[in-house]
Amino acid sequence: MTLPTSSTLATRIAQGSAVVLLAALFFSLGVWQLDRAAALKAGFVTATTVDEKIVPLESITSVRISIPPTAINRMVTASGRYVAGFKAPNQVDGTGKVDDWEVALLRIGANQGILVVRGLWSDRLLNPDIQAAIDIAGQLRARQDSDHVENSPGVISRLDSAVIVGLTELDLFDGYIIASSESQNGSEIIRTRLMPEKLTSRIPGFYWQHLSYVVIWWLMALVVLYLPFYRRRVAP
Amino acid sequence: MKSAILRFRVMAIISGIMSLLLWFVYMPAKYLINDPDLHSKVIWIPMVHGYLYPIYILTAISFATKARWPIMKMLALILAGTLPVTSLIAERRVVRRYS
Repeated sequence: MTLPTSSTLATRIAQGSAVVLLAALFFSLGVWQLDRAAALKAGFVTATTVDEKIVPLESITSVRISIPPTAINRMVTASGRYVAGFKAPNQVDGTGKVDDWEVALLRIGANQGILVVRGLWSDRLLNPDIQAAIDIAGQLRARQDSDHVENSPGVISRLDSAVIVGLTELDLFDGYIIASSESQNGSEIIRTRLMPEKLTSRIPGFYWQHLSYVVIWWLMALVVLYLPFYRRRVAP
Repeated sequence: MKSAILRFRVMAIISGIMSLLLWFVYMPAKYLINDPDLHSKVIWIPMVHGYLYPIYILTAISFATKARWPIMKMLALILAGTLPVTSLIAERRVVRRYS
């Protein structure tokens, strides 16, 4: 048995340090993915909970930012004037019925706006005078991420303020409101209101994808730690 | 040794197919075609690939250990599971050499 020389000792220390550093890096990447999965799950749990307490829209979200997870599905109030109207075809309500919806852009204050689902497109002529100031209450929903039709003049492809950002000078809120009531000068506007789509508790696919990356990164860390003990082929 | 080769072959073929789906179906659907509906239909591909790849790694290590492969060759075998076709090429080479 011979004692290791200083150069082989230095090599071993360098190799050992490299192994530990690499393993730590892979472990950290796994922890990062685990954090992302946990954040996604927490946001989703928030998004499937409905807080029935009605609050002013501006108290829980702001224009030009993504809707905070805590604001999604909250019951909100807003006041302003409708400044534009759109048809939103092929929308699905809480009962699963597919229909065309009437959507309006509500101007709030001087330069803020949000999309409001007023009701069925076929009922739009029931209350044609919507120029005056209006107070609404309804559920704040996260923006839709898939188009239901092609965009065209007067038609909105999905309920997402990003679709109309080029049509208005207003600063827009993210998301949209499904109105449960509208009133002008204290009198309620009577029309059929839409039931919001039911919230499900299914955890989205990205959550499981992040967890699979956790498994891969931590396995890589174990592989790196295993390498120094790997029995290599011995030359005859 | 035979069972290690068989396990590796099965996982190499499955990983190869999943890599092909990942690179040529999921990636274009997500990054080239702006269609959220299509994206939601193929979201299972990276998930399944993500869970199968660790199994591929374990079978590759098991085989490389029994075959006493050099470390670099074993690492190449592990990384072969990340690229389309390469795990299938690795599987063919292993069959040619050890069958």
